[in-house]
Amino acid sequence: MPSEPGTPDKKSKLPAWLALLAALLGLLFAAYSTFDYANHLDRRLHEVHCSFIPGAPATSKAEACRAAMYSPYSALFRQHYWGGIPISLFALGAFSFYAAFAVYLIAAGGRAPKRAVSFFATTSLLPVCASLVMFSISVLKLGSICKICAGIYISSLLLAVMAWLLARAQRTRPVAEAQATVSKLMPLFWLATLGLVSLTPALVYAGSAPDERPFIDKCGTLKQPKIKNDELVKIATLHPTRKALLFEDPLCEICKAFHQRLVSENIIEQLDIELALFPLDTDCNWMLDQSLHPGACLVSKAVLCGGSQARQVLEWAFDEQEYLNRAAKSGVDVLRGAIKQRWGDTLLRCVDDRKTDVRLNNHLHFASDNGIPVLTPQMYLGDKRICDEDTDLGLRYTLGVLAPEVLK
Amino acid sequence: MSGAELPPTAAFAGLASGTVLALGVAIAVRVWVAGAGERLITPQAENKPQVAIADQAEVGYCTPQFKQVLERVLHSCGLSEGDARRGCQPADVKTFASISDEDFNALFTPLKDRGAVILFDESQDVLDDKAKKLIEDKWFARRGARYFFVVARASKSGTQSKNRALSHRRANSVMFYLNQIANDPEIDQKVGLLWLGNEFAQLSKDYCSWPTSRPDVKCEDETINRSAFVSWVDCRL
Repeated sequence: MPSEPGTPDKKSKLPAWLALLAALLGLLFAAYSTFDYANHLDRRLHEVHCSFIPGAPATSKAEACRAAMYSPYSALFRQHYWGGIPISLFALGAFSFYAAFAVYLIAAGGRAPKRAVSFFATTSLLPVCASLVMFSISVLKLGSICKICAGIYISSLLLAVMAWLLARAQRTRPVAEAQATVSKLMPLFWLATLGLVSLTPALVYAGSAPDERPFIDKCGTLKQPKIKNDELVKIATLHPTRKALLFEDPLCEICKAFHQRLVSENIIEQLDIELALFPLDTDCNWMLDQSLHPGACLVSKAVLCGGSQARQVLEWAFDEQEYLNRAAKSGVDVLRGAIKQRWGDTLLRCVDDRKTDVRLNNHLHFASDNGIPVLTPQMYLGDKRICDEDTDLGLRYTLGVLAPEVLK
Repeated sequence: MSGAELPPTAAFAGLASGTVLALGVAIAVRVWVAGAGERLITPQAENKPQVAIADQAEVGYCTPQFKQVLERVLHSCGLSEGDARRGCQPADVKTFASISDEDFNALFTPLKDRGAVILFDESQDVLDDKAKKLIEDKWFARRGARYFFVVARASKSGTQSKNRALSHRRANSVMFYLNQIANDPEIDQKVGLLWLGNEFAQLSKDYCSWPTSRPDVKCEDETINRSAFVSWVDCRL
């Protein structure tokens, strides 16, 4: 039943109210994401928000959200700003605009200009498109979806659905109902405003981001760059231009993520990498009270035995990390079986050779001779240690300062 | 269709809420980033979890007394400084260790499972196959240790000079074999040699229960001293 001109139609306002709710939810999730990102500009490790429930506290158990945050897709201009400009800033601005526009449409009620409703419906597809792109990246590239990101995707979808329902309701409204009109140029003005409001948080962020340069080379140096009586593992790359030393554990999740960052940002191919194996497994590593990654000694020996295929063995271990971790928990024979199945008898014989034990021990002594922190991964450019925070959020920026040639 | 008037409150509400939200967001971002910048230049609180630093092994038996004795022996026998002189003669050990025979032997008790006793034939310094195998097993089970000790003995009976020479030859036999298997140019910086003749720290029959290269041979006071004890020492010296 049509409402009288000028009388708000509660039914027609419902989509606008729900659109407002969606925009505010999107704003909230984007705020959590931005807050977590900005928090890490102090170069310390923080808990992050990772829940569908608005108001849920930050947690240390937020691997998917942390993986998304550290991924190269979470921010722009990483080479110019430490950590880059998080894309959640654009969501913050955009959802602010949509929330305000929804308020405008609610206040206008049945007399909302057709152009305004159409503009709202049309531009509400922008966050949906952005969400689809990010969702695809999450699934295809990262293999996990962070809950905060999912909150933004759902809010975007809800906003678009409500905006389109609003537009549909207006189209089906009787002609008798008078609607206000606005200039043809208004949608352009709104679009410019949307752009400006979306950009503002990013501009503020970029303008106030602290200077991280004084901190990026303050994490120590190698005391003895050469391993005694042995060789480190050479990782084959396409255009090795800058010497880098990595300490890695093939069963360490963070090493895997770090390796994937190096690959996805096309940095790895420019590095001349030597790998020191540093399994966090008491089976061979005396520096631990308990194994963090049981089975890592055995898999490290497989990498050592890889020879010219060491990179392939390492990447296989990263790709199959969950399976290998499960295999290791089932027993050493299961893990040995997995190695044999993929790399054959010859490599397994090498793994069992006493010389390989000695080589792995030499790698561990190389770590102890250098007094490095007992953690993985660690990266050294020349003899300079790259700080942990610079191997994740600040990777591109740090390399841009210390080794710009690897970013070409 | 004639254009109706838009309630003035609508534009105002939209504009006002937009301004509040945009400003609020900008201020929040500024505060968050500035807060991080402030923390960046502020030293971290003491309660920050400390990361362990990679180092050589240091286990429970590395008591100050044990380390003191080993350090004295190492420094005095020319190992740590890379001196050309290798090993300690019985008189040296007795002087540098500055402890009684029993206390000296007791210091090595915790190494019972880490090390092994290499047994020799009477008056001989030749390593048999089982001895070689046991030395290899022990040498390659290095883990985080920095120093490998060889403590050779001779016989409880016989002249002092004969026993000194024999224990020296036994220590050298082990050292030569280590050189063969280790392929380590820095082996001299790792292996500490002591030979004790029959003047100092002779073993009692109780040591027969330690892992030896001849577990199937009857072990007596005399047998256990025709030996070289070998072990990595998991102490930071």
